[in-house]
Formats: sequence, structure tokens, C-alpha cells
Amino acid sequence: MDLQLRGRRVSVFGPDEGIVAACRRVLLAEGAVLAESSSGDSYPEADVVIAVGGVRPGSDLLEISDPDELYAAWDDVTNAVDAYRAALPRMLDQKWGRFIWVGSAQAKSVDAEADELAAMASLGMLGLHKVITGEVGSNAITANAVLRGGIATDEDVANAVTFLCSEGAAYLSGITITVDGGAGSGIF
Amino acid sequence: MDYGISGRVAIVSGGSRGIGRAIATTFAHEGAKVVIASRTLSNLEETLAELEEIAPGRVHGIAASMTDPESVARVVAESRDRFGPISIAISNVIGHVIDAAKEGSGPGAGTFEGMGTEAYREEFTQLLISSWALARACVPDMQQQGWGRICNIGSGVAREPSTNLPHLLPNVVRAPVAGMHRLMAARLASDGITVNNILTGSILTERNRSYWVWLARERNITVAEATQDMTDRIPLGRFGEPSEMAALVAFLCSDRARMVTGQSIPVGGGGSAHL
Repeated sequence: MDLQLRGRRVSVFGPDEGIVAACRRVLLAEGAVLAESSSGDSYPEADVVIAVGGVRPGSDLLEISDPDELYAAWDDVTNAVDAYRAALPRMLDQKWGRFIWVGSAQAKSVDAEADELAAMASLGMLGLHKVITGEVGSNAITANAVLRGGIATDEDVANAVTFLCSEGAAYLSGITITVDGGAGSGIF
Repeated sequence: MDYGISGRVAIVSGGSRGIGRAIATTFAHEGAKVVIASRTLSNLEETLAELEEIAPGRVHGIAASMTDPESVARVVAESRDRFGPISIAISNVIGHVIDAAKEGSGPGAGTFEGMGTEAYREEFTQLLISSWALARACVPDMQQQGWGRICNIGSGVAREPSTNLPHLLPNVVRAPVAGMHRLMAARLASDGITVNNILTGSILTERNRSYWVWLARERNITVAEATQDMTDRIPLGRFGEPSEMAALVAFLCSDRARMVTGQSIPVGGGGSAHL
């Protein structure tokens, strides 16, 4: 299937290098090009912004004693917001854009994965995506999330991300695709 | 019904007004020892005088910030010194939005396009750090007793973000707070501690009334029209009273609700859409 991503300028960033690299690889294979600026922290020329959240395996909200650890996880959210907002004017201007967050499946089901800080950050992004959908969705800008759990590989995640970037996903916004091999047991 | 909380020590943050005050009042009637904490001493004194009549010698008030973890720890220590180990913790700190509504402008009400990330951090402190700090400070007491109740007064936007109003910050931060309580519930279940979260819907508080004034101005309609518009969206056809919210919270904190944990429950007159 032609995903109609040829020439789309994509920006992928985040602390998880494996996922970032896999997303780039799959998207470039579909004809997309990288939009990264040399300064590295702002991407005003992107059609597609993919923010990958950090992983802190086994993180336990009750074990943490220093609130700075919570703020550090929250920085994943605010970094995503900064990148999203930097790209927004271009997307509004051309009436096309994709925002994608890659986070933890534990945001939807406690048994999917054990990374409570990542789940917390992801839930914030899901709320944000609903806001973005309501605010700018009519400009053919979508905001969706891929939640990884189980033993999903970087490639599994990148495939779902790439689908959400495609024209076939134009009517999907504010949704999540959980890529966890069926590990989570929550229905809603 | 005997809720089985007579003699239990309860802390209610934001306990001097509105929903927090109604919860503190219900606990006082049920025989608990109640500590209310709030930033404003004058509100606190008025509410304390009222509670003292219901529960002489069983109420205490502390003027303190409930968003700073060190200050929260001090409140918990002072409560313990006064009444003994903590059994019930109610986190009830509001975000910026309603405050902003009162002022008519401010950091809370805003849009994705217009809002910078510093405000996200403030809202995170206000809503998530506050409830995390209170739970964390109280859990050791609860574990020692093998009995505890943690309940957060959250918002319906955790599950259904409001996108017809410029409420960016609560829409983003309320869901993480609900999720945090679900995750804590899983961690604490084996200690006899339940953790639940209220999805506040349409409850009549002073803050809500001031919000309608702001909304009316924003939409160039009368306050009566704004109120009617909000009321028409509620299947039960009316706003709830803070005491009706307190009734659910008291049940969740009772011994009878010992099997109910990890839940986010709406109190909104049937206004929530999710299944």
C-alpha cells in the first residue's frame, strides 16, 4: 500500500534511541525525509512530529522520594509540547500535519508493563491529543499515540507510528494504538 | 449505616471550602478525627468553628500549602502528633483553571496553540505533586495499621477532556493524576489500603458560580443563560451539592468499601459519556 508519505518532512526525537532510529528507518523507506534542524531542539519545518517518551523500567511512584524524578518524567511531556507547537504554524498553513506520541501501554492497563512514570507522562499526552484534535483537527492535523507494552520490538512500534502518519489514518485523531502483543487485559 | 471510621484520623486538603469542607463535615459526623488544611487562615477558622460544634475536640486546622511536598509532610506530622496515625487522606487541591476563571484570565485557561510549557509544570505541581506528596506522607501510617483510605478529588476531564472550553491544563494533567491513583491502588492493595479517584462533574460550589460569571462574559451571554446552558447538559437536570459528593467519598473511605479500589468514579448527575 502506498502510504503517501513521499517527501513528507518528519522529525523524530526522544531519549529512546532504538525507537527513534526504527521510526526513522521505516518512514524513510516510505519516502519521507528528515526535518531535523542542526540546533536539535526545535523543528519548525516538520510535517510530522514524533515524540518518543523515555522508559524507566520498574519505576514505582510510591518508591520515589524526590519530586524531581516526577518532574523529569513530566519533561518528556513538555518537550513534546514544545516540538509540537514549533511545528504547528507550518501545519496550519498547509492544512496537514501529524503529531504522534510513543508511550507506555501501562497508561491503559496496569498489567501491560511496569513503568509507572512513563504511564503517567503518556496519560498527559492522551489528554493533550484530545485538546489538539478539538482545537486544530479541522485543519487535517491529527494527534495520536502508540503505546508499547509486552515485548514489542522497536520495529513493531515504528510500523504503527508509520501507519498513523499515512493518508489511510487521516480520519483517526485522539486515539491510541496499543502495541503489546495482547499483554494488557483492560477492555476500555 | 455505620461507616466504621469512628476514631480514625482523616486529613482533608482544601478542607475549608466547597467540596473539601463538605467531606470534612461528613467525616466529623461519622466520628472521625478531622484535620483540614488550606492556604487561607480566615476560611479555615470559619470552617473550624462550624466543625467544632459537630465534633468538639476532634477537629484541627492547619494553614499550609498542600502543593509543596515538605509542607505536606509537616501537615501530616502535626496531624499525627495531635490525633495519632493517619488512616484517611483526601487530596483536594484545585488547578489553575477555576482560579483563573475567578480572575477572568490567568495561566490556567488556555489553548494548545497559545499556552507555554511553564504553565503545564505549574498545573502538574498543583494537581499531581500535591496528591502524590499527601499519599506518600500518609502511607507508612496506613501500612502500620493495615488499614488506609486514599481518595483524590479529581475531575471528569481525566476521562473525557473538555474540548469545547479552553481548559488545556486540567485536560492534560487530570488523566495522569487518575492514572497515578490507579497505579498506587495496585501497589497498596495488599496492605489493606484502598485508593480511589473522584471524577467530579457538575457540583455546585462557589468556584463553579464564579466560573459561570466568567463564562457568561466570555460568551457575551447572561449569567442565567450560562447557568441554564450548563444545567441542560446534565441528565439529572440539576447541579449536585457538595454534600452529595461527600456521600460517595465517605462511603469509599468506610470499612464497607474495603473491596473497592483503583476506581475513578464520576459524580456528575449522569453527565459522563464513557461506558
